[in-house]
Amino acid sequence: MSIIFYEEPELKDPVMFCGWPGIGNIGLTAIDTLRVVLKAEEFGEIEPWDFFDPQQVRIANGLLKELEFPSNKFYFQRLEARPEHIRRERDSIFFIGQQQPGEGPTRYAQGQKAYEMANLVLDVAEKFGCQRVYTSGAAVTQIHHTARPRVWAVPNKQNLIAEIKEYDNTILMSQIEGRSDQGVITGLNGLLLGVAKKRGLEAICLMGEIPYYLQAAPWPYPKGSKSVLEVLLKILDITVIPSASSGQALSKLDQSARKVEENIEGFLESLFAAEAVPPEVRDEIEKLRHISREPGPITEEEQKKIMEHIDELFDQRPWKDEKGPPTGGGTQ
Amino acid sequence: MKKDPRPVGEPSSIFRFSQPGGAGKFENPTLIVAWDEDAGRLGPKVVQHINRKLGAKSFCEVEPTSFFSLEGVAVENDIAQFPEGKFYYCEGTPLRGNQRNDLVVFKSNEPRFERHKFLDGVCDLARHYCKIRQLYTLGGTISSIAHTDSRRILAVFNQEQIQQELSGFGLENMNWQGPPAISSFLLWAAQRKGIPGVSLWTEIPFYLAASEDFQAIKATLSFLDKRFDLALDLTELDEQIMRQNAKIDRLRQDDTQIDRYIGMLESKLALSADEQGELSKKVAEAL
Repeated sequence: MSIIFYEEPELKDPVMFCGWPGIGNIGLTAIDTLRVVLKAEEFGEIEPWDFFDPQQVRIANGLLKELEFPSNKFYFQRLEARPEHIRRERDSIFFIGQQQPGEGPTRYAQGQKAYEMANLVLDVAEKFGCQRVYTSGAAVTQIHHTARPRVWAVPNKQNLIAEIKEYDNTILMSQIEGRSDQGVITGLNGLLLGVAKKRGLEAICLMGEIPYYLQAAPWPYPKGSKSVLEVLLKILDITVIPSASSGQALSKLDQSARKVEENIEGFLESLFAAEAVPPEVRDEIEKLRHISREPGPITEEEQKKIMEHIDELFDQRPWKDEKGPPTGGGTQ
Repeated sequence: MKKDPRPVGEPSSIFRFSQPGGAGKFENPTLIVAWDEDAGRLGPKVVQHINRKLGAKSFCEVEPTSFFSLEGVAVENDIAQFPEGKFYYCEGTPLRGNQRNDLVVFKSNEPRFERHKFLDGVCDLARHYCKIRQLYTLGGTISSIAHTDSRRILAVFNQEQIQQELSGFGLENMNWQGPPAISSFLLWAAQRKGIPGVSLWTEIPFYLAASEDFQAIKATLSFLDKRFDLALDLTELDEQIMRQNAKIDRLRQDDTQIDRYIGMLESKLALSADEQGELSKKVAEAL
């Protein structure tokens, strides 16, 4: 279980940004888009085989050519290497993981493996002098997919609260109606905050809102990512000129957000037309289109009912390997 | 069971030794690996046959705690099961100059957790403790052939040298890109440690995948027999093949639809998913 460095860059007061897959891939997309905007360079990776099973094998003419594992890579960007049109104050380190390490049938990190992964990531943060870490994920809430998602922010130290209050379109747990100031952040996003706290590092998790009826959908939710990215750009004091090459990544995210919203509209309309969901569920989702973002018109019971119907539609089939399909069919 | 006190390096922590085999006792050993959950029961039946015929003795097993769910036990065919991974030692027949080709057999359930640690440990024990020369994994690959067709053995090698060495044994090279089976993961782990290895994938007609495919078992044993000069007696399998074929023949006579499905497969024609399901169900009932 180790980290491989291709090079060890000298960095000045860097900030670390971590992204993993999760609901709607909101965090991963936001952090990875920022990495592309800053044109960060890959400099290391965590050996994956003790954390993950291989996902792909390539066998050609009887020879085992390659076994592919989910990647866990580190990237950096220095001040002096900044892309044109970007103003920044600090160097950056990015950690992009293709999968969360877990134990048992869960898509979220938990247990010893997750703790080990969190520590390895923070080992790199400390090795290069980071004092601040950002993670990002999704906040499942009662908004409609046509609404602008807000960003929920959770710091691991009291002194960060004042700073977060300055962020645009961002709220703390205590500002969300009906939540008081409590909640749970699942997976590595939450765990990293805790482990960073234990090590004395500042960390903030930024979670883009996603409608609860889309939380099990197999597609990304770039609209939530865009909200998180806007906050990150502000934090880093970055102004991206759309015409610059770094601006293309943002345009791509914008286009993707619009496309996904159109697809969701189309998907829901086809469900309603086919009467695949009961009319009351349709009415409940449609109520959200016209109301303010604060929860209220839909009760937890109604939400549960909607999810029962929507989840069924997002079921996915199992895979096959060299042993062949589950019910036969062909020879590899 | 008493633990072998001899140090065998890091893998010793996940193994429990019951028979102090001693590295000096193995002669030119080859590791053969079979997984308990296998199409046509191929792997488990092949190693069961080898172990019985060659008088294999278990000398070591994997401690299950890190690798399997121990929340309870599964019950299959009215019997409580428990996951295990056991190493057996088979002394080969003395050849010219009294040299032997011994076999080390590892029969195991697929680990549920810490798969890399498990496979790495198996490779380390095989290499450092048993001094194995080569690794062979066994498995069935589900195919749309008919049970009356001959069984091909598809092969995946982790080095070109072993591929060349086995070129005269009638194996066919596999091509595949997709999710890997655990045998490919093991083959990769062995490759990283410089252990030459091959995964053998014997074809299993899809409608025998849930039963025992004696013809595929025999084809695999015949290969191993030829490769390692095991002098195995396979007449018992010939009888099992005859009995199984006779049962399927009776089914074909009684059910014209089933006869048509199998006839289509014999003519290399594809069946629909529903037809495959019906054939598999009725053959399973008949056997």
